[in-house]
Amino acid sequence: MSFNLFAAEEEALAKARALETRLGALAPDCLPEFRDLIAAFELSTREQQRLVRVSDRLQAQLSDAIHELDRQRSEAEAALDHLREAQEAMVQSEKLASLGALVAGVAHEINTPVGIAVSCASHLADATQAMRRRADGGTLGKAEFARYLATAVDTTDLILGNCERASQLIAGFKQVAVDRASAVRRTVNLAAYIQDTLVSLQPKFRPSGHAVAVYCPPDLELDSYPGVLSQILSNLVMNALTHAFVDGQAGGMAITVDCPDADTVRMCFADNGRGMSEEHSARVFEPFFTTRRGRGGSGLGLHIVHNLVVGVLMGSITVLSAPDLGTSFTLQFPRRTPDRDLPVEAVTM
Amino acid sequence: MDCLTIPATGRTPGVSFDFANGHLRMTGESYPDDVAAFFGPVFEALRSFLDDPDGGPIRFDMELLYFNSSSAKALMNIFQMLETVAKGGRSVTLTWCVEENDESMRELGEDFAEDLRHVVFQMREMPAGGPP
Repeated sequence: MSFNLFAAEEEALAKARALETRLGALAPDCLPEFRDLIAAFELSTREQQRLVRVSDRLQAQLSDAIHELDRQRSEAEAALDHLREAQEAMVQSEKLASLGALVAGVAHEINTPVGIAVSCASHLADATQAMRRRADGGTLGKAEFARYLATAVDTTDLILGNCERASQLIAGFKQVAVDRASAVRRTVNLAAYIQDTLVSLQPKFRPSGHAVAVYCPPDLELDSYPGVLSQILSNLVMNALTHAFVDGQAGGMAITVDCPDADTVRMCFADNGRGMSEEHSARVFEPFFTTRRGRGGSGLGLHIVHNLVVGVLMGSITVLSAPDLGTSFTLQFPRRTPDRDLPVEAVTM
Repeated sequence: MDCLTIPATGRTPGVSFDFANGHLRMTGESYPDDVAAFFGPVFEALRSFLDDPDGGPIRFDMELLYFNSSSAKALMNIFQMLETVAKGGRSVTLTWCVEENDESMRELGEDFAEDLRHVVFQMREMPAGGPP
C-alpha cells in the first residue's frame, strides 16, 4: 500500500461525494451550493499540496546554500592554513638568512686580525731565515742582530695583539651564535653584549661610513635571552641600513639604554635617516609589510623584532618617525624576564 | 487609481500595476516580514481594478525569482481572482517567467497553472542573473 500524504483529505472528499448523491435525492435545491463547497475544498487541498512543494523547494534551496557556505568556509580555512604555513616557512628562512649574515660578519671581522698575524709571522720567518744564513756563514754583525731583535719584538707584539683580538672576537661571536642557536637564558652584561653584537655587524655598516653610538650603563645586568636581544639589535640595525639612509650618505645610529625603574630596561634605537610617513610607521610591524618588495625586502624583519620583544622578552615596542626626522624604536622590557614556558621555536633563532 | 507602483526592496517584490493598460507585473524576490502589511494594499488595489465591469484585457507577468510560502499563497489568491474575472469573460493572460535552468521554478509554474481554466497561462524564459 502506497503512502499518501493527503489520504485524509481524499477520504473526506469521497465522503462528501457520497453525501452529494444522498443530498440529490433528499434536498435537490441544496445541491449547487454543496457542490461549490466541495469545489472549494478541492481547490484548498490542491493549494495545500502546492504550498508543501513550495516549502520543500525553499528548504532544499536553504540546505544547498548551507552546504555551499560550508564548502566555502572549509576552502577559506584551508587557504588560511596554507597561508600560515607559508608565513611560517618565510619566518624560518628569514631567521636562517639572519644567522647566515651573522656568520658572514664573523668571517669578515676575524679576517683582519688573522691576516695581520699571518703577514707578521711570514715577515718574521723571512727575517729569521736570513739571520740563520748569516749565522751559518759566520757573517752576522752586531748591528744586524740588533735590527733583527727589533723586528722580532715588533712582529711578535703585532702577532700576539692580533691573535688576542681574534680570540676575543671568536669568544664574543661564539657567545652570540650559541645564544641565537640555543636561546639559553642567562645573566648578561648588556653594554658588553651590545658591543659583541655590533662587531658582527661592522662589515655591514662600516663601508658606507655609518656609525653606531652606544650609551648604556656599564654595570647593567640582564637575566634574559641574550640571543633574542642580539637578533633584535641586528634586525634593527639592518632595517636602518636598508631603509633609513640615502645612498652615499653616512648615517648615524644611537642605542640608548636606561632604566625607568629598577626592574625595567628601556632601550631606544634611533637613526638620523630619512624617516617615514605616518601611514608606513603605522604598519611597520605587520608581517610582509615592505616598501622594498622585489628588492630584497621580505617585510619580516621588524615583524620578527616585534614578536621577539613581545613574545620572548615580554615587553613592548613602539616606533616614532616622521619624514626627514629619522626613526626611533623604543623597547621596554623587564630586566629579569618573567618565568614561563616558551615554545622552543619561539626563541630559537 | 491608474497605477500602483511599489519599488522592490531586499525582501519585498517590485509591483508595477498599470491599470490603465491592464498590464500588471511583479518582479524581484518576495519574503516580506509582514505579509499582510505588504500584500494588503496590493490586494485592495487589484480587487477594485478587477471589480470594474468595463475593464479591458489583462496581462499579468509573474517575474519573481524567489518567494516564500506566504507569498506563494498570496500568488494563488491573485491567480484565483484573475480566474474568476476570466471566467466572467474578460481576457486574462498570465505569464510565468523563469530563469533559464531553473527547473524547479518551471515545475512550480506548471503546478500553479493547474487550477487555471479560463486564464491563458504561458511560460517565458528569462536569461539567468536577474530580470532584464
